[in-house]
Amino acid sequence: MNFIKNMTRGLIKENPIFVLVLGMCPTLAVTTSASNGMGMGLATTAVLIGSNVAISALRKVIPASIRIPAFVVIIASFVTIIGMLMKAYLPALNASLGLFIPLIVVNCIILGRAEAFAFSNTIADSLADGLGMGLGFTMSLTILGSVREILGAGSIFGFSLFGASFEPVLLMILPPGAFITLGLLMGLINWNKKKA
Amino acid sequence: MNNLNLTVSSSPHIRAKHSTASIMQHVLIALLPALAVAGYVFGVWALALVAICVVSCVATEAVIQRLCKKTVTINDWSAVVTGVLLGFNLPINAPWWLAVIGSVFAIGIVKQCFGGLGQNFMNPALAARAFLLASWPTHMTSTAYIPTYDTVTSATPLALLKTGDLGSMPSTLDLFTGLNGVYGCIGEISALALLIGGLYLIFKGIISWRIPTVYLLTIAVFALLVGQDPLVHLFSGGVMLGAFFMATDYASSPVTAKGQIIFALGCGLITMIIRIYGGYPEGCSYSILLMNVAAPLIDRFTKAKIYGDVKKKKEVQA
Amino acid sequence: MEKRKTQIDWKNVFKLGFILFVISAVAACCLAFTNYVTAGTIEKMDQETNKAARQEVLSEATDFEEIPAAELVKIRTEIGLENPDELVEAYQGKTGDDVIGYTVKTAPQSGYSGEVQVLTGISKEGLVQGVTILKHNETPGLGALATEPAFKDQYKDLSAAEKITVVKTAPASGSNSIQAITGATITSKAVTDGVNISNEVYLILSK
Repeated sequence: MNFIKNMTRGLIKENPIFVLVLGMCPTLAVTTSASNGMGMGLATTAVLIGSNVAISALRKVIPASIRIPAFVVIIASFVTIIGMLMKAYLPALNASLGLFIPLIVVNCIILGRAEAFAFSNTIADSLADGLGMGLGFTMSLTILGSVREILGAGSIFGFSLFGASFEPVLLMILPPGAFITLGLLMGLINWNKKKA
Repeated sequence: MNNLNLTVSSSPHIRAKHSTASIMQHVLIALLPALAVAGYVFGVWALALVAICVVSCVATEAVIQRLCKKTVTINDWSAVVTGVLLGFNLPINAPWWLAVIGSVFAIGIVKQCFGGLGQNFMNPALAARAFLLASWPTHMTSTAYIPTYDTVTSATPLALLKTGDLGSMPSTLDLFTGLNGVYGCIGEISALALLIGGLYLIFKGIISWRIPTVYLLTIAVFALLVGQDPLVHLFSGGVMLGAFFMATDYASSPVTAKGQIIFALGCGLITMIIRIYGGYPEGCSYSILLMNVAAPLIDRFTKAKIYGDVKKKKEVQA
Repeated sequence: MEKRKTQIDWKNVFKLGFILFVISAVAACCLAFTNYVTAGTIEKMDQETNKAARQEVLSEATDFEEIPAAELVKIRTEIGLENPDELVEAYQGKTGDDVIGYTVKTAPQSGYSGEVQVLTGISKEGLVQGVTILKHNETPGLGALATEPAFKDQYKDLSAAEKITVVKTAPASGSNSIQAITGATITSKAVTDGVNISNEVYLILSK
């Protein structure tokens, strides 16, 4: 019951991208295609679950005054481990996300959830929170990536949609496309909320 | 509603005798000479492209305002002006869908998403041009077509200047009138026609003389300093169109006199820096867009000093 | 603590330091373990991708032997390379004991957004066998089109003995030049720079 509540919160009500507006750097930088967005989202989810559980488990051991450096060490270790695993076993994804994997360390969502949730909740709840926030993040990045890929490259997850005569909107896979898509999606969500 | 929207608070721009519609109509009249030259040089397709832009702009504005349950304000002519300006910024070989998408972007994203008339943070037509240029560079790049049945491409004068190919450079007089050949986008070819339109607007009190004058002067001086022909720089590319019709957009340029001078100076400098040192042959549209974004800062910077200035009164009467 | 700035609670400092130390030590152990497990795979993967790339541009070779770094230094001065980083590495392609060609990795800095890594394969007869772009930062849809076969394959069978040039329209046959990508002449030239450096390296190596 509580588990489900903690999990679904991150999906919609407190969606990290569209509602909390956290972790914008990877959001804007890597969502040039649906698979990049999803890969980044899943990698972040893995780190988020790991760090949430570890921090929650250690919350009685870590004194409050040094919690931030402790969080950073834990998060950085998880990121490095995920990075090495990806390099070894998912080289194709690693090649396209490359630079952004180490940057998961500074993703505000992870430190944010550690501070706001995991440090003061049980392991099970923190796991649920990490999973929910991670999936919410993944979902948002995949949507952003899909929109940009469909418009900017005429394909989705690499499958061509419109044939060769389609001339894609290049701008959408360039940096401005990320801002425009994110802005419009946020606007749509808020508009929808207002109407309801 | 119409009249309310245009004025920015504490603006010296308030002119009681004009409504949005009448201002926009004057701007359209001022654009007519350039349109006539475009029709004469490029043929019917140029006029058709401009018409497509106008229709799509007006339609987009109406649809969005209807959807958002706002008052439909297409009768204020502002969407028509945006459409014409966008059409002027397209190359003659642009396909029809480029014009439509550009118009939807200009009105839908740049204008209506930010609150409609008077709220746009950039010039909608220019933002749409930058959008199209980044999205379909092969359709928008600096080759212009000579209107015979063979599709012979020739580089624009600025591209020639960039590659140092001065032998095939057209004469300055040809650049000025634009009648003898095709050297750029639809509305940019005749500096003379744009100059006539611009002077008409200044004479009618629609735009202030400051932005165009300072902009053009900056370009001329910069060109002289780096040892290039200032007239070529003034008469080619989008400078004339930009100086009189784009940079003077009320919503996206500073309101104070001093601010306008800084704004125009910045536009001129950025244009020339891009032209001479940058990767693109033309920097006019980017320079104005960049300064558009800086306009609120310039306003804030210059406002306090202008307050209580005696000049302010003259400004209102002008 | 802040109220008594002059007195430091050393006991607490050591305690906090110790806790942080333990956390860091555990983290370090986890990292070392993961590294131990993955390092071999990663290196093998790197070697395989590099070999696959070399094979792509020089398909007849079965083995590759690296040209020693000391020799590369000599080559750099011999061809008068302004920026030594532009020549990255070179391999000799072999079938059995016969040398059948060379692959050269170059990194011309003249791309639209900086470095473009180009791998060129040249047969021992002096014909370009294949070109591939390993790393680039060019604009999608424009410069990035250089990675497409339509562009890369133009280099095949051009002569390494003379300089390859870039033209804007379809080149005449036998002219030792390639057609630039529309709207991305700078990228086209950068890739060609890389191929031309490779050609010079080939001329020295094959002597």
